[in-house]
Amino acid sequence: MTYEEKLARFNAHIEAGGKVETEDWMPDDYRTGVLKFIEMHANSEIMGAIPEREQVPRAPSLKRKMSLTAKVQDEVGHAQLLYRVAEDLGKSREAMFSDLVNGKSKFHNVFHYPTKHWGDVAIIGWLIDGAALVTQAALLDSSYAPYTRVLKRICSEEQLHLRHGEDISLELASGTESQRAMFQDALTRWWLPIIHFFGPKTNVEKDLLLRWKVKTRTNEDLRQEFLDRYVPKVLELGFTFPAPVPFHDEASGHWLIRDEDIDWQPLDAIKRNEGPETARRLALRKTIYDTHRWVREALAEPAVHAA
Amino acid sequence: MTDPLVSMLLALADDELVLGHRHSEWTGFAPHIEEDVAFSSIAQDEIGHAAAYYSLVAKITGDDPDRLALGREKHEYRNAILCERANGDWGYTLARHWLYDHADALRLEALESSAHEELGPLVTKIRREERYHLLHADTWLKRVSQGPVEGRKRLADSIGIAFEESLGLFEPFEGEQDALSAGWIPVSSSELRQRFVRQVAEKLDALGLPTHMTSHAEEGAEFVASSSGDLIASDNGERSAPSADDGFGGRRGRRTPDFDALWEDMTSMYRTSPGARW
Amino acid sequence: METWEVFRRHGHREPFEHCGTVTASDHEMALLTAKECFLRRREGEHLWVVRRSDIHSFQDESLLEIAADKSYRFNSGYRDVVEKRERAKARAKELASS
Repeated sequence: MTYEEKLARFNAHIEAGGKVETEDWMPDDYRTGVLKFIEMHANSEIMGAIPEREQVPRAPSLKRKMSLTAKVQDEVGHAQLLYRVAEDLGKSREAMFSDLVNGKSKFHNVFHYPTKHWGDVAIIGWLIDGAALVTQAALLDSSYAPYTRVLKRICSEEQLHLRHGEDISLELASGTESQRAMFQDALTRWWLPIIHFFGPKTNVEKDLLLRWKVKTRTNEDLRQEFLDRYVPKVLELGFTFPAPVPFHDEASGHWLIRDEDIDWQPLDAIKRNEGPETARRLALRKTIYDTHRWVREALAEPAVHAA
Repeated sequence: MTDPLVSMLLALADDELVLGHRHSEWTGFAPHIEEDVAFSSIAQDEIGHAAAYYSLVAKITGDDPDRLALGREKHEYRNAILCERANGDWGYTLARHWLYDHADALRLEALESSAHEELGPLVTKIRREERYHLLHADTWLKRVSQGPVEGRKRLADSIGIAFEESLGLFEPFEGEQDALSAGWIPVSSSELRQRFVRQVAEKLDALGLPTHMTSHAEEGAEFVASSSGDLIASDNGERSAPSADDGFGGRRGRRTPDFDALWEDMTSMYRTSPGARW
Repeated sequence: METWEVFRRHGHREPFEHCGTVTASDHEMALLTAKECFLRRREGEHLWVVRRSDIHSFQDESLLEIAADKSYRFNSGYRDVVEKRERAKARAKELASS
């Protein structure tokens, strides 16, 4: 069978809702696209551990200290699952990690921003994990089957994180004025990055991953689901949104934001790996990576030294 | 004077909290992803054990466990100095984890038959998790000590540094004599220390790692952790009493600059609204 | 002859599940017999055999227990969300009217 014939058969398989396994034949563009997508997801989980872990040492109670540690642990666990799936597509973890710490690959925009206090933990746990859950749940039906199998576990843990984040948010919302101010401050700083998180409008014609059903929904569709689900919950707690301010559209019943209200400029810098915290966080990771080669060697090499 | 039972429980709790805090600093940054997940559970376990000990103290004194953990002044903490040391590299972290968990295992073995009716059952539960900690530490030590030279060397050096300070875990706590008479703890710290030194020496021998420990605090003070459990000076036949700098004093509230930084971090959010719900 | 552990997977969404064992001298024979022993009614679309001696486990499985309180790792640890939501809403109202 020629490459073209295999490709035609592959396309028909996908069109009919078929799934792809690691050992199956797949076009090079599919392999590259899926690998890059999952690698970015994995990078985002491991880099996403950093903003929250910055607040672990300051957690304000014993229970929160344990639960936040456990939450960050889950994110690292997600990275483990995803790097494994990506590795099977033909790029070693060593290569992926090296690209990451040297700024050659990407991770989600929200993890390029600083955290300042416990309010950030509330916003990340509730709204950013909420946003992530919307996008990840949409991938559960992806055509690349090994990805969907790990996503099942990831989504169920994200569900827990959401509860954890909402729990923290509600305590702050019920608390002292300074606790409420923490939440509002974090919301004000994070709102635009959260909107960016969904990305600009999808170009359906050009999006190969959408055509191959690796992704199943457009960015704007996912953002809409997020707004409808979370905007009213935040408003009923008496907090306010900065620009782009969501408004209720009576006719459609949706919570909308106007495209012209979104300032995309900060996202452009992040796409170049030039966000406010990008360099510092990558440097931290790189230092540990470079100074701990011996750990990887000790784990990878066979026993060389008799006791 | 502090109730000897409270004093003993606070020493246990502060060790676990402060070491758990240090361990948790690796979460998200460990040099190996699978291990990041594994070590994070150990951090959570230690903090969980601290919470259980603080709850016992709170029951006795009417205090609040979170206030005990996060609302005390620096000099009120009673952890051993070893626990507060900054993480350094993974080699030091591993060495300290291994030494601490072996020391803790001996202490818990003794505490399981404490005369305090709630402590015994709690310790039984804690020991179940500590068995995993020991397996984790032993497996890592075996792996690194049988691996390439750089890892072996880092590990051996770190054990050399951490070993002496690990003896500070067996510094008697305030009122220990009374706690012994009351049966709160059936074995004295000095007896536990001897068991510890003996066990560590045997294990290091089995791993083919050096048992000659060079102190990082006192230049030239080299001693051997002998299998009899005594500390034998290898140079001039006698070992000077531990100086204030080498890992002792933690049980009396002596703190190092490493602790100051940790305390600032650990208590900062709690201190913004003491007693608030979070 | 060796013992082989047999795993099968139903569809693409599920993980492989253990379904039994066979004895065979090599993996080809193991696959051949496992197919008819465990998939003859099409109970799965994918089949694995793994040499039993290649499987490792903890000698003491009580190590897998969670000993101390880890409720924060479970949804059940956050059951009172409705209550907390009402409390937070009430607090927002109280502040709005003051």
